[in-house]
Amino acid sequence: MSEAFEIVAFIISAFIAIAGALGMTTTMSMFRSGIFLMASFIGVAGLFILLTADLIGVLQIMMYIGGFLVMIVFMVMVMHDPGGAMMAGMDMAFVERWFSKGLVPREPPHSGHSGDMHGAHGQEHRAHRRDSHPMPQGKAGDHRSHSVHHDEHAGDDHQSMQDMDNSGHAGHAAHHGNDKNGMDMGGMDMSMVTPVRPAAAWLAGAIGVVLVSMLLLRPTWRVVNAMPDPDSARRVGHLLMEKYMVAFEGAGFLILIGIFGAVLLARPSSHPDDPSRAARVAVAEKPEPIADDGLVPLPVPDKQTEHKEHHRSDGHGA
Amino acid sequence: MGVIATSATVLAALGVGAALTWALERLFLQPRGEPGPAHTADLGRNLDIANSDRWLLPAGPVVALAGVALAMVVVPFGPDLIGRDLGIGVFYVIVVIDFVVLGVALAGWGADTPDSVEACYRIIAQLIAYVVPLGLAYVGVIMMARSLSTVAIVEAQSGLWFVVLQPIGFVLYLVTGLMQSYRAPFLEPFAVSIGGGVLGASGGWSALLWRIALAGVLFLVAAICAVLYLGGPNGPLLPGWAWMVVKTYGLMALMLWLGRAVRPLSTARMLELSWKILIPLGLLNVLLVGGIILLGIGPSRP
Repeated sequence: MSEAFEIVAFIISAFIAIAGALGMTTTMSMFRSGIFLMASFIGVAGLFILLTADLIGVLQIMMYIGGFLVMIVFMVMVMHDPGGAMMAGMDMAFVERWFSKGLVPREPPHSGHSGDMHGAHGQEHRAHRRDSHPMPQGKAGDHRSHSVHHDEHAGDDHQSMQDMDNSGHAGHAAHHGNDKNGMDMGGMDMSMVTPVRPAAAWLAGAIGVVLVSMLLLRPTWRVVNAMPDPDSARRVGHLLMEKYMVAFEGAGFLILIGIFGAVLLARPSSHPDDPSRAARVAVAEKPEPIADDGLVPLPVPDKQTEHKEHHRSDGHGA
Repeated sequence: MGVIATSATVLAALGVGAALTWALERLFLQPRGEPGPAHTADLGRNLDIANSDRWLLPAGPVVALAGVALAMVVVPFGPDLIGRDLGIGVFYVIVVIDFVVLGVALAGWGADTPDSVEACYRIIAQLIAYVVPLGLAYVGVIMMARSLSTVAIVEAQSGLWFVVLQPIGFVLYLVTGLMQSYRAPFLEPFAVSIGGGVLGASGGWSALLWRIALAGVLFLVAAICAVLYLGGPNGPLLPGWAWMVVKTYGLMALMLWLGRAVRPLSTARMLELSWKILIPLGLLNVLLVGGIILLGIGPSRP
């Protein structure tokens, strides 16, 4: 029972670790890429736990969930196409297509000959999405009407996605060939499918072969009878607090100073660069009151100043 | 077999906990109360959201519920009523509850509506806000109990509950626990103004899973608070599980009531509160607990 369970757990963890790494390198969406890398490390954490190093395994999960979520937020802020919407319509190899399955290709707002037209289309589209929000939320009917609107405006986009799923690149290419609004996907394909890619894949494969062969041809490892300590947290704690106390406390002090510095340097942002985001920030500054909570209501800002603020932020965005 | 019994215990605790939480909210909150669990989402119909990511959106509620269920394993509901007494018990809880944040982030990004992506950002900001002071609230207890195991922490409080010895830590835990369970003053990721965030993009089975997961988070936070500060299942007359249930639901009611007594905070305000007030308070708590231990007050050393 226990033996079989260990083998099954090992296979699952190893599969998650390897598939996560493969997905990380091949998916078109950077958000997914981060999630795949997180999954890969969680698989490695599973292997640590199988080796009865549960403290290290759980530490690994903690570091990678929190750390990667923050890293993904920074990536989304910096990168051009974090959701992979523009790259999802590209010429892809089989693995890439599989790990990018379900991504909805969307045309960049200004591309190809009909860039202006696309831009207008996108704007209108966005306006529709935003319009459906003030209505009562969370009702399925509401969303249904939203998606109907959506289909009217982006029917061909949606269709192209379906085509992709059904017949892969061929269908997609054919579709775009027929589409009179279609942008020049060829140029984009060429920019992404670089001649370096197969060479990089071969190099990675060769390094993998070298590493695995080093593992197979190693001198035999010594086998000892010592069992790992099940209460590893206590051992690690004693080591950190006795033998390595100066280094540990020094690192902790450094981090504390870093926290102080971050708190001192933090400034509220006053430069929202996107009008839609500016609206959200305004919402975030005045949170929704709870209905009937019996507190004194806040003074309502008069319309005049609010209008001015709105105007200013609009000017900023344009 | 142990695995099956453990799974059954955990699932039963989760299901009963979610149902009782739902009842508690109906009893103590107004019908137009804050959007805690997904009570506005339609359980009857699935949603088909155009442009949504067909992998990430359904993964969200599953990951969140898995996190809650995994954390439930180490909660001692009675002297022998525990899924598994891990040596790293409470640290495991801190880590595994993070899967709820991951689930909301996945579903928020995956739904690909402006509101749900905003919810994704907000919940990650909330994670940054609560995780450090929450850890500091745990540290005081761990220092006194000299163990990470939940059972050992309960045993260390057989004489005196830690709430008496570390009132600052208890208050810190209540505040950060509200942040962690996304309830009243800290409900920005699920605010009405952004359409309930990911809840606005859920329906059918995913709404049901969100409802269980979000109710389960509050239940779990309160249960861990009972273990850390109120002696867990210890108590006279009544059996252990009854004490645990009383303490957990008492703490849930206290937290929801306290949360409604203050004005909701925006995400930016919450970060400010956390980093400028709660973290220094937590460090002060650690210092005071260290002093108390040096004075020889607290559970006797083995």
